[in-house]
Amino acid sequence: MPIIIISSDVRDIEEKIAKEVALMMDYQLLDRRVLPDIEMRHQIDPGKLSESMETTPSVFKKMTSRQWRYYLACIEANVFEALLKDKIVCWGLSAHLFTTNVSHAMKVRILSINNWNSGKNSEQKGGTSQGADKLIAEKVQQRKKWSMTAYNHDETDPSGYDLVINLDQIDPVEAVKTITNAVEYLKFQPMTYSIKCLSDLALAAKVNVRLLKHMVDIKVQARDGSVVVLTKASNRQKRKKIAAIKDLAGSIEGVRYVEVHVKKNILGETAGNSF
Amino acid sequence: MSKLLEVLLLDDEPIVGRRLKPALDKIGCHVEIFENPREAVARIDQKDFDIVVTDIRMEEMDGIQVLEYVQKKCLRTKVIIITGYAKVELAREAMGKGVFDFIAKPFRPDDLRQIIANAAQALGVPIDLSSIKA
Repeated sequence: MPIIIISSDVRDIEEKIAKEVALMMDYQLLDRRVLPDIEMRHQIDPGKLSESMETTPSVFKKMTSRQWRYYLACIEANVFEALLKDKIVCWGLSAHLFTTNVSHAMKVRILSINNWNSGKNSEQKGGTSQGADKLIAEKVQQRKKWSMTAYNHDETDPSGYDLVINLDQIDPVEAVKTITNAVEYLKFQPMTYSIKCLSDLALAAKVNVRLLKHMVDIKVQARDGSVVVLTKASNRQKRKKIAAIKDLAGSIEGVRYVEVHVKKNILGETAGNSF
Repeated sequence: MSKLLEVLLLDDEPIVGRRLKPALDKIGCHVEIFENPREAVARIDQKDFDIVVTDIRMEEMDGIQVLEYVQKKCLRTKVIIITGYAKVELAREAMGKGVFDFIAKPFRPDDLRQIIANAAQALGVPIDLSSIKA
């Protein structure tokens, strides 16, 4: 069955619609409740994964870019693993940003500007509509920056979605019906190609997590158990890094072959950096 | 199996037909190979195939056109698309037009055999893959 991924500019709305869709379709929900399990599995401090989904790294923040990338990779790998199972409605985990190549993942965006204006957000700014407008603009900018930095996709761009529903014009009940009807379209049905895409992405994500725990500058692609790792290293570190990557990636279940492509890291050369 | 599954295989690269025909013969398919889409549709006019396996990118006629042609001729026929240019948009277009399955090249003969077996199941003529997997 297709995967349904729901995202919105308003978290409460996203949750409400996702729950209704899951109930109506008899699908499982996949959401941020999985984060504590992922933290435990990867021995990450509680709350860090949630934080990584809201902020971007900077020199002034406690979360370094390396940590942030690793945390996102952990989430991604676990989400992919869950998506391999059937009948899933996913929300709150930014899956729409890293499943763009999966044709049976239907990405839905729910817009709800009036919910912003009428809710607690306008109260926070003294109840004025200008205050609420400003808050919306800030929030939109923040999400745009986060999604661009994390996945090089603008989350606020409607063209990245298969279905966009404006709750200011469509009742939530109708929105749920629209989503459950759309998911029946032939275009969103799984096929050998899309299922393979998903399993290749899941394997690449698993390898990525393993490697990011030990090193930086890693990009992983996978196809049918063959893994290609793109990385950077100084001339001095090149052989050692290739061996380490082959060792780490090769020990992952499902990996049959590992190829490593190394670009010269000029900064690492001069600074004498390790991995 | 009493009746052979009638399969038409269309790919403008001769190597594809040469490699896949023996792989499908082993599971009880009678395979006719074509490299030219015009000749393939002429044959489809003459005979109702159970399954048509077609490439997408070909000169004169593409795989989607072949799919549409088959659907006009015989709705029962299952069409499987194989392509070296797989993209989400193309996969969705093919699925939207009613293709049975879509697979990216390169693939293993076993992958196609599994899809053929699924199509055979959908046609009500199941085939057993277990004997050739060893």
